[in-house]
Amino acid sequence: MILPLLVPVNSVPTKWGYKAQSHPPLAPWRECWGSPWTEGVFVNAYILQFLTGLQLGAIYALIALGLTLIFGTLGVVNFAHGALYILAAYAAVLVATKIGFLWAVVLVPSALFCFGIVLERGLIRFFYSRPHTDQILVTFGLAMVNEEMLKWIFGASNIPFSLPRWGAGNTILYGLGVVVPAPIPGLRIPLPLVQGFIFYPTWRLLLILVAFCTVLGLFILLQFTRFGLVVRAGRREPEMLRFLGVNITQCFTVVFGLGCMIAGIAGVFGGPITQVSPGVGMALLVPSFLVVVIGGMGSLAGALVAAVMLGMALAFTAELAALQQIIIYLVAVVVLLVRPRGLFGQKGVFE
Amino acid sequence: MTDDMSVLQAARSSASPTLRPRGLGGRDYVVISAFALVILTMPMWILTIGGYEALATKIVIWGLFALGFDIMLGFTGYLSFGHAAFFGTAAYATGLSLKHLTPNLLPALGISIVTAVLIGGLIGVLSLRRSGIYFSILSLAFAEMLHAAALSIFQQYTGGDNGLTGLPLPMLFGLQMQGIAVFYVAAVLLIIGFAVAWKIKRAPFGLMLRAIKENPLRLEYAGINIWAYKMAAFMISTVYAGIAGFLMVVYQPYVATQYVHWSTSGEVVIMSVIGGVGTLVGPILGAGFMLYFENVVQAIIGEQWRLVLGFVFVCVVIFLPGGFVALGHTIWHRLGHLVRSRRRNVSDMETDSETSGRSSARAGAYTSGEHDAC
Repeated sequence: MILPLLVPVNSVPTKWGYKAQSHPPLAPWRECWGSPWTEGVFVNAYILQFLTGLQLGAIYALIALGLTLIFGTLGVVNFAHGALYILAAYAAVLVATKIGFLWAVVLVPSALFCFGIVLERGLIRFFYSRPHTDQILVTFGLAMVNEEMLKWIFGASNIPFSLPRWGAGNTILYGLGVVVPAPIPGLRIPLPLVQGFIFYPTWRLLLILVAFCTVLGLFILLQFTRFGLVVRAGRREPEMLRFLGVNITQCFTVVFGLGCMIAGIAGVFGGPITQVSPGVGMALLVPSFLVVVIGGMGSLAGALVAAVMLGMALAFTAELAALQQIIIYLVAVVVLLVRPRGLFGQKGVFE
Repeated sequence: MTDDMSVLQAARSSASPTLRPRGLGGRDYVVISAFALVILTMPMWILTIGGYEALATKIVIWGLFALGFDIMLGFTGYLSFGHAAFFGTAAYATGLSLKHLTPNLLPALGISIVTAVLIGGLIGVLSLRRSGIYFSILSLAFAEMLHAAALSIFQQYTGGDNGLTGLPLPMLFGLQMQGIAVFYVAAVLLIIGFAVAWKIKRAPFGLMLRAIKENPLRLEYAGINIWAYKMAAFMISTVYAGIAGFLMVVYQPYVATQYVHWSTSGEVVIMSVIGGVGTLVGPILGAGFMLYFENVVQAIIGEQWRLVLGFVFVCVVIFLPGGFVALGHTIWHRLGHLVRSRRRNVSDMETDSETSGRSSARAGAYTSGEHDAC
């Protein structure tokens, strides 16, 4: 039996349970799911498409989370969010080539956090009382300035983002009981349902993992800390919190910084996949906005679901190139016709 | 109700509107004639400030586009980031008509307007269900969808990434459309467009649009179908964009894929905002400024003109919400108290609450004026 070995000895069954921390039991899986599943011919292709969908969804989710967090809390539509992403990607390239990639992982999101706070204090806060159109216009202007600045400094074409040694190459996902020949390099992960073994870029798997950790971290921060409590309360009744003597302005500034930091994380890990060129920011912004709108403005869970949904829609239409180009818009049209406030949008909120 | 006070004031100062809507009178003809005179003589006077003839044509075309865009943004308060869709599809329709049908301009004009209206109707129905930011995002998304579709599904018609090439030289009544002829066609259309926009602004319809911007909820309570008004404004705006797209192809017999790209929408947004939203001269002024910047100032400051333009844009949004048109007004506002005789008219001596109170009273006045007219 593998299951008891994987569960840490000192782990306590909590709300999430220790099952969540452990790998699924390998042998029982095979027994209870039966063999027809594992013997399907197209299973490998589906698994690859599923992983690609998750990876695309991960980038969208990271950008959209920041967008929707800022929008839901401060009520500001940040057209400059894609610009922050690409700024982070450029910064990551610089830091990674100078002092190493691990430093980029630490420094770039922190730098963007600070940048976000400066941006909020220096500019955005003057726009809370102004109409939404003005907020869109000023952030759009910032995005434009950022894009032109990057073009000026680095040129209009994309610059190479070399992966660190440990992140390059492929991961081998192998089915149960399959023996992968020893000379093939790469990390090996057993995965039920896979027939034989398949390759998937390690970096993309890492991106999925990072996105998952970021989401988890944000969830814990908002759900289980005092800061999160204040922010959640501030989303509903900012006036009341002010009366109670909570410094809500400071909290909201930190939230803006957090949104920028998540864009920074996305830029560091997503940059190698999406290319690093000045135009990428705006190109990613449109799908991310769709994610936010489909999920329901201001809803974090909605953004996650919508991001994975769009990622899957993109991945599973990969063979139909023409359809793939417009599939996310079609999904958006259908969702918004059926449910105009988005999947998880609450009635009366930002309608 | 504090929103767009300055824009409203700019509109008030530039056009001196009366509260009661009325038709075109003697003074309106004077204004429109003066405008026509300035536009028609542009190829002459633009030379004196370092421009050239083709630049005048471009300014006129983009001015028409921005003017139509401002009917949505300035009048109705809906920021569309998808106007490139109408501009671009009209351009493609014109191109296809010139290439496959006839080099004559008039059928192309009709086809491009019809196409733009059809696309605009579709996008309008989908995106005008929501307002504010939702509308901006949705219009952006649908325009991007068209861009993606033009490059993939309709590739065999649009020429894909290369754009639509190999167009014949357009003709109008046996006259080849080249150089100054294009300018005069565009200028005539712009003057007609300006007169129509002027009329809309003065008509009950225009007041209704401004009332939608001020307080849509109140109009709905009054039992007015604001969706129909919004849709009508959107369609009018679409027609302007369509004509501009048509003129762009006449000016330059080639359709670039960039015409449907969001950056075209972005440019028209920048033009309107820099010039001054909610006014009629503002967007045209903005178009002139931006194209002048792109073509003349670029020669002086080099490749970084877009960066400088971006800074100008951000500064205008932050410090001058009424655009260049409001600049004079803002200066007057700030320094007016220095002039002794004007001291009583300086409105920033009011407190904020009074101003917003007056603003809502004004919106109410528009509404009631509308009811009188009905």
